[in-house]
Amino acid sequence: MPNHPSPPGSLSRRAVLTGTAAAAGIGLTGCGSITGGLSGKTQIKQWNLLAGSDGAVMTAMHEEFGKEYPDYDLQATTFTWGTPFYTRLVMGASGGNAGDIATIHLSRLKSISPGTLMDPITVDELEAQGIRESDFNAATWDRCFVDGELYAIPIDTHALVNYYNRTVCEQAGVLGPDGTLLETQGVEDYFDVLRAVKDVTGEYGTSLDTLGGWRQFWAWYRQDDGEMTFGDGDFEMDDDKALQAIEIMYRMSEEGLCPQFADGGQCAANFENGAAAFVQVGNWEINRFKAFNEAQGLDFSMTEMPDFFGNRRTQGDCHSYVLPRHNNWDPEVREATITYAAWMLKHSFEWGEGGGHTPAYLPVTESAEYQALQPNAEYSGVVENVQFDPDVWFSGAGARLYDETSSIFNQVYGLAMTPDEALDLIKERIQTLLALPNPVE
Amino acid sequence: MTAVQEKTTPEARPQAAPKRRFKKPTVGAVIVYVSAAALALMWLVPLLWALSTSLKTETEASLGQDIHWLPENWSLEGYRTLFERGDHLTWMLNSTIVSTIVTVLTLVLCVTAAYGFSRFDFPAKNVIFAAIIAGLMVPSQALIIPLFDLVNDLKLAGTYWGLALPQVVAPVMVFILKRFFDAIPRDYEEAAKLDGAGHLRILWNVILPLSGPIMAAVGIFTFIGSWNNFLWPLLVATDPSMMTLPVGLGVVAGGYGLFYAQNMAAAILGALPLLIVFMIFQKQIVRGVAGVGLK
Amino acid sequence: MTVQTETPEQASPATSRPPNPTAKKKSWTGLWFVLPFAAFYALFLVWPTFLGLYYSFTDKSLTGRPASWVGLDNWREAFGDERAWAALWNTAEFTIYSTPPLVVLAIVLALLVNRARRMGWFLRMAFFAPFVVPVSVVTMIWIWVYQPDGGLLNHYLQLLGIQDATQPVLWLQNEDTAMWSVVMTTVWWTVGFNFLLYLAALQTISPDVYEASSIDGANWWQQLWGITLPLLKRTTALVIVLQLIASLRIFDQMYLMTGGGPNRATEVAIHYIYIAGFEGYRIGYASALSYVLFVLILIVSIVQFRLFSRKEA
Repeated sequence: MPNHPSPPGSLSRRAVLTGTAAAAGIGLTGCGSITGGLSGKTQIKQWNLLAGSDGAVMTAMHEEFGKEYPDYDLQATTFTWGTPFYTRLVMGASGGNAGDIATIHLSRLKSISPGTLMDPITVDELEAQGIRESDFNAATWDRCFVDGELYAIPIDTHALVNYYNRTVCEQAGVLGPDGTLLETQGVEDYFDVLRAVKDVTGEYGTSLDTLGGWRQFWAWYRQDDGEMTFGDGDFEMDDDKALQAIEIMYRMSEEGLCPQFADGGQCAANFENGAAAFVQVGNWEINRFKAFNEAQGLDFSMTEMPDFFGNRRTQGDCHSYVLPRHNNWDPEVREATITYAAWMLKHSFEWGEGGGHTPAYLPVTESAEYQALQPNAEYSGVVENVQFDPDVWFSGAGARLYDETSSIFNQVYGLAMTPDEALDLIKERIQTLLALPNPVE
Repeated sequence: MTAVQEKTTPEARPQAAPKRRFKKPTVGAVIVYVSAAALALMWLVPLLWALSTSLKTETEASLGQDIHWLPENWSLEGYRTLFERGDHLTWMLNSTIVSTIVTVLTLVLCVTAAYGFSRFDFPAKNVIFAAIIAGLMVPSQALIIPLFDLVNDLKLAGTYWGLALPQVVAPVMVFILKRFFDAIPRDYEEAAKLDGAGHLRILWNVILPLSGPIMAAVGIFTFIGSWNNFLWPLLVATDPSMMTLPVGLGVVAGGYGLFYAQNMAAAILGALPLLIVFMIFQKQIVRGVAGVGLK
Repeated sequence: MTVQTETPEQASPATSRPPNPTAKKKSWTGLWFVLPFAAFYALFLVWPTFLGLYYSFTDKSLTGRPASWVGLDNWREAFGDERAWAALWNTAEFTIYSTPPLVVLAIVLALLVNRARRMGWFLRMAFFAPFVVPVSVVTMIWIWVYQPDGGLLNHYLQLLGIQDATQPVLWLQNEDTAMWSVVMTTVWWTVGFNFLLYLAALQTISPDVYEASSIDGANWWQQLWGITLPLLKRTTALVIVLQLIASLRIFDQMYLMTGGGPNRATEVAIHYIYIAGFEGYRIGYASALSYVLFVLILIVSIVQFRLFSRKEA
C-alpha cells in the first residue's frame, strides 16, 4: 500500500467534494491523508527543526521555490528543536512514514541509524539535478557517507562565532585601523580586551548562552588539541586540557566578564541592549541582530572565535538533508524531492546572507558575490576551523552528551560548581551514558 | 421530574425553593442557588477567558496587557489566520474520519459479538468469553511499545487504519451490550423465527430496534473517547497531514509561537465539535454515565 | 427539563432472567458472530501483550537493527533504575494529590445540583462540559491561564492580595508548584464525570428516607452524614478505583504542559516509557518498564473487578 497521498485521482476528489460520507472517502484515497490528495500537485513533505531566525529565511526561500515550481506542493513543518524533532523523525522513519525530506545536523547522522531508517541517495540522481561531488568540500562530503552509502546532502556549515559591537569596541580602543576587531593571542590577551570593553559597557565584556556551554567547552578544548575518544565501555579525554577550558568559564564569570546565567534569548538581548560588547553565539543569530540594527540601531560585525591556544578553532556542525526511509517511493515525489534539495543548494546564497550559515555548495561560496558579502566574509575561516562533536552515539546537536554537559557548565557559569567538581561530574555522566547499551548499532 | 412544568407565580419568585416533599427554609435554598451558580460560572471561566482572548487582536491579547474581559477591538483575526493556515481543518477532518471508523467498527464488532455470546452456545465459548473479560483489565497505555511496533510491521503507521484499528478493541462494550441483550425476552425472536428470519435478520429487525438507548450510549462514548485520544495518534500520526485535532494542536501548536489570540481561537475551535455533540446528546450522555455507577 | 431519576435500562436483568444457554445445543453459528471481534481482540490486544513480554527479554531497538536475546538484563536494569522509580513516585504523587479533590468536589457539586434542580441543565453543562474538551485544548487554555506574568490566575491572586506582584508564581516552571498545577487542571477537566456519577446516585435515593428522618428532627447536616454519604459509599468506591486506574495511566497533561519538567518533577510512568522507548530507541527496555506498570494496573483492576462483581452476584 502506498503510504503517500495517492496522486489526485479524480475519483477521490469528486467523492469528497460531492460530500460523500467521510468514511467512503477513505476507501477511495487509499490510506493517505484525505486532504493531501486534493491539491492536484506533487506533494513534498519537508520536516525541519529551524525554529529560529534562520527558519524565517527558509520559509521565504520555500515561497520562491513554490513560485518557480507551481506543480509542486511543498509542505514544510517545523518541529521543536532537539530531542522532540529527532524523536519524531526516528519514530516516523521506523514506520516508513516520516517526511519525504528532513533537515538534520550532520553530527546526528549516525545516531538516526541511516542504515535502517534513512534511504540512500544516489550520485546519479543528484547529477541529474546538476549537483556534483566536486561542488562540496571533500571532508564534508565524506561525512555524508555511512557504510559506503550517501545518506546526506550538506546544506551549510554553521559554528559558534564572535559578534562584536563596533561602537563599544571603538570606545574601548580594541578596533584596528580598518575598523575590525584586533586579533588577540592567548586567553589573557582576550581577557584584557574583555576588561577594556567591560569598562565601557559597565556590565559585561561578552555575552554567551550559559545553557549551551558544551559549544564553548568543545571549542576551547579543541583549540588545545584536546581529544575525546570512545571505546567499548570506556573513554579517554585529556583532564588537564578539559580543566583548563572549564576554568576559562569559571574565571570569566567570576570576574563578571560574562553573565552568570543567560538563556538563548537573554544571551542575545545582552548584546542588543549594550550590556555586553561581544556575544559568542551561533552565526544563525545574524538575522536577529540585523533586524535589531534596522529597528533600533546596532553597529555590529562578526569574526571567528578568539585564539586562546594558538588557533581559532570553533564548535560547529552542518545542516544537511536526509531522506527518511519510505516503504516505497512514488518516483514523481522522489524526483520532486531531489529537485527541491538541489534548488535550495543552488539558492543558498540567501541562506548564507539571511541565516549567517556558510553554504556547503561551493559554486555559491566561491562566487564573487558571496566573497564580497559582509559580515560573512569576515568569519569565512570557520569552515576550516570548525570542530565537530565527538563520534559516539549519544553525541551531537541536542543529543544527550550536549544536554547533560551543558547543564553542568551552566552551574559553572553560575559559580555553583568549581571546575574540578564539574569535570568529575562530566566524567561520571559520560560513564553512565557509556553504560547504556548502544541502541543504534 | 415534572418540577419545571409547574409555573411559579411572580410573587413566589423570592422563594425559589424547588418543590420538594419536605420543607426547607428559603434562605437555605437561596444559598444553594447562589453558590451553585457562582461555582458554575467559576467553572466556565477558563473557557470564557479563551473565548474572550480569541476575539481580541493579537496586540490586545499579548502578555503584559491589562486583563479585561471584553475586547476593546472585537476581532476575528485569530480565526482568520487559523483558517488561512489550513491545518486546523485538516486535523478536524482527520479526527472526524478516525472517530467515525472507530465508532462504526466498534458498534458492528461489539454488537455481533455480544449477540453471539448472548444467544448461542458454541465450542470454547466460555474460554473465549473469559479471555475477553480478562481484557477489561489490560491497560492499553502499557501496550504502546509493542502496539507501535505491530502497526509499523503491518505498514499501517501514518494511515487512518493505523490510527483507528487499535482503538476498536473494547471488551467493556461487549460486556455491557451482552448484558443488555441477555435481558431482552426471547418471545419476539421466536415469532420472527417462525416467520423464517435468519439470525442476522433477527439481530437487525428485532434486537437492534429494542436497543436504541444503549447503542446510542456506546456509540457516543466511543466517539468521544476516540476523538479525545491523544497518546496513540501522537505515536502513529507522524506527519502533520495525518494528525488528529488533539495531536496537531499539541505538537504543531509550537508553530503558533506567541500569538495568543490565534492560539485561543484554535482552542475554541478545537473544543467546539464535542461541545456541540454534548449539547445535542446531553440526555444520552448523562444517562450513560449514570449507567456506569448504577449497574 | 429532564432530570434523570429513571433507572437505566441495564438495571432490568434483575427482573427478566437471562436465557439459559445450556438449553440450546452447541453449534458453530455463534462463533461466526463472535469471530470478527475476537480476531481484532487477538491481533491488537492479546498479541501485543505477548509481543511486549518477548521484547522485554531482547535488546530490540526502534532503529530496526537486528535484536538479540538479553535474558533478564532489561528487568534487572528496570528494577535498579532510579529514574523509573522516580517516575512511579511522581505518578503516585499525582494520584495522592488529585483523588481527594476529585471525590470531595464531585460530591459537593452533586449535592448542590441535586438541590438546585431548576438550574439543573445549566449546572450539569457547566460542570461536565470540560470533560468533553480535548486534552490539548485544555492544556493550551491552562498554560495561558498559568502564565506567570499576565496570566489570569496570577492576576486575580494579585488583585485579592494573596500574591505579591513583584514575585509572580511560576506555576508550571517551578518544581514545587508544577505537579499541583497539573492536578488543578485535571480536576477542572475531569471532575464532571464523577459529579454525574454522584448525581445519578443521589437521585436514586428516595425522598421518603429524608422525610422520615426529618420527622425525627434530624437537621440537614445530620441527614448528610447519617443518610446521604453512607448511601454514596459504593459510588465513592467506584470513583476511587476508576481514579486510581486513570492516574496510573496519566501522561497527556504532563507531556503537554510541562514535558515532564522542571527537572523531571512531573515525569510520570508512561512518560518515562515513552522516553526510554521512543526518545532512547530502546524498545526492549521500554517493554520491560511497561510490564512493571502493567502488573501494577492489573492489581488495581483486579481489586476493582472483585469489588464490583461481588455486588453483581
